[in-house]
Amino acid sequence: MILEMNDIRKSFGGLEVLQGIDISVGKGETVSVIGPSGSGKSTLLRCATFLETADSGEIKYMGNKAAWTDETGNMKYVSPSELKKFKSCFGLVFQQFNLFPHFTVLKNIIDAPVSVQKRSRDEVTEEAMAILEKMGLASKANEYPGRLSGGQQQRVAIARALAMNPDILFFDEPTSALDPELTGEVLKVIRQLAEEKMTMVVVTHEMDFARAVSDRVIFMDGGSIVEQGDPDKVLGDPDEERTKRFLRNYKR
Amino acid sequence: MKKLIALLLAVISVFALCACGSVEQDNGKAAGVVTEDDLNKDFVLKVGFDAEFPPYGYLADNGEYDGYDLAVAKELCDRLGWGFEAVPIKWSAKDKELEAGNINCIWNGFTYTGKEDDYTWSLPYADNDIVVVVKADSGITSLSDLAGKSLMVQASSSAAQAVEDNKEFKASLKEVVELSDYSLGFLDLDNGTVAAVAADYGVAASRINEKSDEYVILSETISHEQYAVGFLKGNTALRDAVNAELLKMAEDGTLLEIAQSSDYVERGLVIDKLILINK
Amino acid sequence: MEFQTVLSELVKCFGTTLAIFLLTLIGSLPLGLLVCFGRRSKNCVLRNVTKAYISIMRGTPLMLQLWVVFFGLPMLLNWFFGLFGLRYIADSQWRFTAAIIAFIINYAAYFAEIYRSGIECIPKGQYEAANVLGYGRAQTFVKIILPQMVKNVMPSVTNEVITLVKDTSLCYSIGLVEMFTRATQIANSSSDTFFVAFMTAGVMYYIFNFVVAWLMERCEKAMAYYS
Repeated sequence: MILEMNDIRKSFGGLEVLQGIDISVGKGETVSVIGPSGSGKSTLLRCATFLETADSGEIKYMGNKAAWTDETGNMKYVSPSELKKFKSCFGLVFQQFNLFPHFTVLKNIIDAPVSVQKRSRDEVTEEAMAILEKMGLASKANEYPGRLSGGQQQRVAIARALAMNPDILFFDEPTSALDPELTGEVLKVIRQLAEEKMTMVVVTHEMDFARAVSDRVIFMDGGSIVEQGDPDKVLGDPDEERTKRFLRNYKR
Repeated sequence: MKKLIALLLAVISVFALCACGSVEQDNGKAAGVVTEDDLNKDFVLKVGFDAEFPPYGYLADNGEYDGYDLAVAKELCDRLGWGFEAVPIKWSAKDKELEAGNINCIWNGFTYTGKEDDYTWSLPYADNDIVVVVKADSGITSLSDLAGKSLMVQASSSAAQAVEDNKEFKASLKEVVELSDYSLGFLDLDNGTVAAVAADYGVAASRINEKSDEYVILSETISHEQYAVGFLKGNTALRDAVNAELLKMAEDGTLLEIAQSSDYVERGLVIDKLILINK
Repeated sequence: MEFQTVLSELVKCFGTTLAIFLLTLIGSLPLGLLVCFGRRSKNCVLRNVTKAYISIMRGTPLMLQLWVVFFGLPMLLNWFFGLFGLRYIADSQWRFTAAIIAFIINYAAYFAEIYRSGIECIPKGQYEAANVLGYGRAQTFVKIILPQMVKNVMPSVTNEVITLVKDTSLCYSIGLVEMFTRATQIANSSSDTFFVAFMTAGVMYYIFNFVVAWLMERCEKAMAYYS
């Protein structure tokens, strides 16, 4: 297993946003997480990527514990330097891209591998250019993000995450901030990654996309996993009433 | 918190010492009070003066500070083998400057009368009247004509003190306008925003000498007083040394010679009023 | 006094004005950053101390602060050395040094607040992206936040810098002979120099500020490499 999260709980001011989530993602698997807004999907990703501190539970990457609840019930995280190693296991693509506006496209991609992972600049640059080439953005390498369209920016953000050579990639609603006509180019890149057997967890509202690309779909509502399994089953013929209602509302 | 303050003070001290000061053994006297032993070749007389107060202290045409008082002080230092430094100060801050040791005397048409106990004084060396200057065409001829009108004085000056002390006169005025220097006051007078300027006789005379047809000095004065050199209270060794040399300079005619410089006379210095010389 | 003399005297003292201006910037721009860190610190003592400092510096006249530093600091040092049976005597350099100290601590407070607003308008997503990419705190600040902050604050900093040019004239109040004090002295040396002295000084301040504004505009343009 690349990622295992067991019994993850998280509250914000008395409201329990995650009510004991169990999730595991195997190598090469593409998992889509769907659900109404406020269901805790994004918080789950933020706990997995250590942007939020879970209140209790266990988080493991590649079988190694990054966080756990000790005997007294307190949440323990490994030391910051250890945590940094865990962070190199994953990449996260944000809804709002969050590119660094003062770096060129190329610098956005190579800076972390060079200055965080201490890899050779030449090697990383070569890799980055290959990724950009694949995404059809090679000509934009020296542009600043502000001059790119939303779809182009999001593809650069994916390239930035990929350049860290992560074992797993998280996507937090990667197309929600885009104009409808720009979502296609981003989804195409994610689909391509799925075909290459990149391990991915995608929080999304794009049901057709989830069905076409995922190995597994998880439906979350009210801070817990309601139903999960084969995309055609969960999205086509769900067992749970809540899932059915969500899909009905969604189609309308 | 205590640690933080201690650290801060330590840093400031180191900085202050490196940059701009020195520390010496505290001999129990106030800072700036010197003993006879200190008055050697290394001694520097730091004369505090107002560079906006001709003829006693002003910026001369050559860009150097000049003035009758400064010239006398410099000559005195040369004779005694002391160093001399002219330190232009803001007149209203003169006491603080003296206490802080930035200067060790105030020598600049400094009024002794009425402040006898506040400083250690040299011999009085000049008579002064606090006079009132009005526009020649104003029709004002006496202090009582100023009733209900505005009067300008320099802030913290002896003229301001004299007006303050003359309660009856002050009460008759509409207002007393205090400004930092007399050039602003005379501008006020020209513009009509004040009706009169109260100033030391020398300062007033210096203006009249330049524009004799525009201003007149009222014959009636606000007060009569004398100038002396002011030292920090208790600084008697320095005062005695200055007094002794001043007397010598009066006797051998040096003071008269300095006073006769046309620069000072043009700027309103009245030799008749220099009492040490006339002895 | 000849106009040429007036001009040459003012030019000579412009050196002091320029020195106050430059030293203040050299001192207060970085100090402002430290104060800004203190203001944003998680340590509540540090945060409140810097908050009070900023509040006092911005809430009292600079002229008063000049007086407090120039007269008050030597008194404080005297008291401090007095504890060890020593005493402190300021020398003639102190007048200039005090002015520099007062200007630096005053402007650092303004710059700290400008920096703070420049940092706070950077979206949270920038920190999160840096966090996920594994940048440490220092790296995040230096590589990601600082460059964006510098761009954000340029217009406000330009404003302050231009104000500083004019504020140097406040040194008049402690008798430091810079351009304005000299202009006053020239104005008082005889009655015909009043307007010449102040007008010339005014023109010189304007030219100085014109150059400063031009330089700052160049900086702003250089910072506009991204949008």
